Amino acid sequence: MVKKFSMNNISLFSVVNAIILTCLAIITIYPILYITSVSFSDTAAVLQGRVALFPVGFNLDAYAQVLKDARIPRAYMNTIYYTALGTTINLLFTAIAAYPLSRAGFFGRRFFMVAIILTMFLNPGIIPNYLIVQELGMIDTVWALVLPNAIWTFELIILKSFYENMSEGLREAAVVDGASEYRILFQIMIPLSKPALASIGLFYFMGHWNSFFIPLIYLNDSTMYPLQVVLRDMLIFSESSNNTNLVDASALAPQSMKNATIVLAMIPVLLIYPFAQKYFAKGVMLGSEKG
Amino acid sequence: MSQAGMEAGTPPKKSAPRRTLTAFQHMKRDRQLLILFIPCFLFYLIFRYGPLYGLLIAFKDYSVFTGIIESPWVGLKHFINFFSGPDFWKLFKNTLILGVSSMVFSFPFPIILAILLNEVRVRWFKKSVQTISYLPSFLSVVIISSMVIDFLSPNNGMINQLLAVFGFEGKYFLIDPNWFRPIYIASDIWTHTGYEAIIYMAAIAGISPSLYEAAKVDGAKRRHMIFNITIPSLMPTIIIMFVLKTGSLLRIGYEKVLLLYNPMTYDVADVFSTFVYRKGLLEANYSYAAAVGLFEALVAMVLLLSSNYMSRKLGGKGLW
Repeated sequence: MVKKFSMNNISLFSVVNAIILTCLAIITIYPILYITSVSFSDTAAVLQGRVALFPVGFNLDAYAQVLKDARIPRAYMNTIYYTALGTTINLLFTAIAAYPLSRAGFFGRRFFMVAIILTMFLNPGIIPNYLIVQELGMIDTVWALVLPNAIWTFELIILKSFYENMSEGLREAAVVDGASEYRILFQIMIPLSKPALASIGLFYFMGHWNSFFIPLIYLNDSTMYPLQVVLRDMLIFSESSNNTNLVDASALAPQSMKNATIVLAMIPVLLIYPFAQKYFAKGVMLGSEKG
Repeated sequence: MSQAGMEAGTPPKKSAPRRTLTAFQHMKRDRQLLILFIPCFLFYLIFRYGPLYGLLIAFKDYSVFTGIIESPWVGLKHFINFFSGPDFWKLFKNTLILGVSSMVFSFPFPIILAILLNEVRVRWFKKSVQTISYLPSFLSVVIISSMVIDFLSPNNGMINQLLAVFGFEGKYFLIDPNWFRPIYIASDIWTHTGYEAIIYMAAIAGISPSLYEAAKVDGAKRRHMIFNITIPSLMPTIIIMFVLKTGSLLRIGYEKVLLLYNPMTYDVADVFSTFVYRKGLLEANYSYAAAVGLFEALVAMVLLLSSNYMSRKLGGKGLW
């Protein structure tokens, strides 16, 4: 491929292109690196602003200090719980809904599809949604976080078209063998749609892990707060009250503590990222092909 | 049981047997599928259509004590208050400016990134840049906002340190109304460029290689190919993405606005959704907030429907 271009041409163009893309990549990753470096650096270096890219010295005090605050470990557990429960419910609901809708002769299919698609255009807004959750008595329960968004219409449509495109033959063979619809769904369709479920599941997972506004409005009990809400209280509200929240009597730089908190919140996402990113790109593609 | 399975399974092929079934027979035949569908049905009924009933309070004086039904009707009072008060124009202007400017400024970036990536011939380099490029879209809005605040912090923030090095005066960017929109848009570009480039990358991958080969035979240089093959071939995708983005113009990332704004910047930062949140949930002014929300929902719906219509007219796919 490369050889076919004249040597002159390729060197200049490719070099410029590589430089531009390298700059873009650095701009993208720099804030994350910087935050991480500050969180590990010596207090003096942080206060004097000597940290530019890599950590100056090595120091875990900021982490020790942050983890002393009972809110962070608790929020971590809450988030793990909400995410696990929420993603499970999302995937189950989406799968058992997508399967009937994918069947050509399903009773009321057209009507249901129109009713479902209409909701993509019609979003009555924060207040009516809040009132429903309130009327159902779900405020301050985990159900307020998982049920009102149990199915994302977009993901439902993606999975439905995935099932539609699966081979009829397998299903028919199962029917001949006398399998019920439940068996067909759980023992044939779901195992065969694992790649699609992984992509959809990733979006649901990220949605729960990063969810901030929903727990903010539906939870009043601060012991139930997930990580994102606690982070906001610690990082963003404290900024306006001049850092008194985190620093206390410690001799640490406020910057270090804040950044350690951010890193702690980013770690799980960064850990799954190498494995998740391929499903992520696939999920975006699925969505744009059949939305 | 196996009998039921047979019945449920056998006639998926188009409409031939369907015509002979009564609704009841049809339901009986599909009963297993219908049972599977129950959670979905209830979900949409309760959580997607249910809130429409809650919208009634926009025409009432709702209070938590009287409930939705018992609250007295007030007609269009809240709408009239809203449209004649000072809030309406401020919110309308802010939402529109933030929506339009963030769309216009951020729109070219994913296209440029996709084109540049496409020109890379070294696979590992291409893969690495692409992998890095959508890392930010995995981060939560709280983390992104925290990073923005951290970088712009007046005490020891990265940007202010940099300004100091070059001898400039330090600045508290986040309380300056002039800086709110640029900060919001720049952080949006940082977050979403890589993710949105995926769609353009796929569109480029779909361009027939024979076009490039023919151009090569004719002695075209790579910049010629970009401007005469890649970009024209991408045009349909670009137009459709543009139309669809126009449709969701009002769907501003209000979570980020909520995290980044403060009373000093309300004048430029406050948008419909943040206003609804403050009035409704923080000040318990439910009815007024619901009226504002309903207005926003209607405008958003008209925009979305017309952009979908446009996109289909242009030969693309709509939202469905």
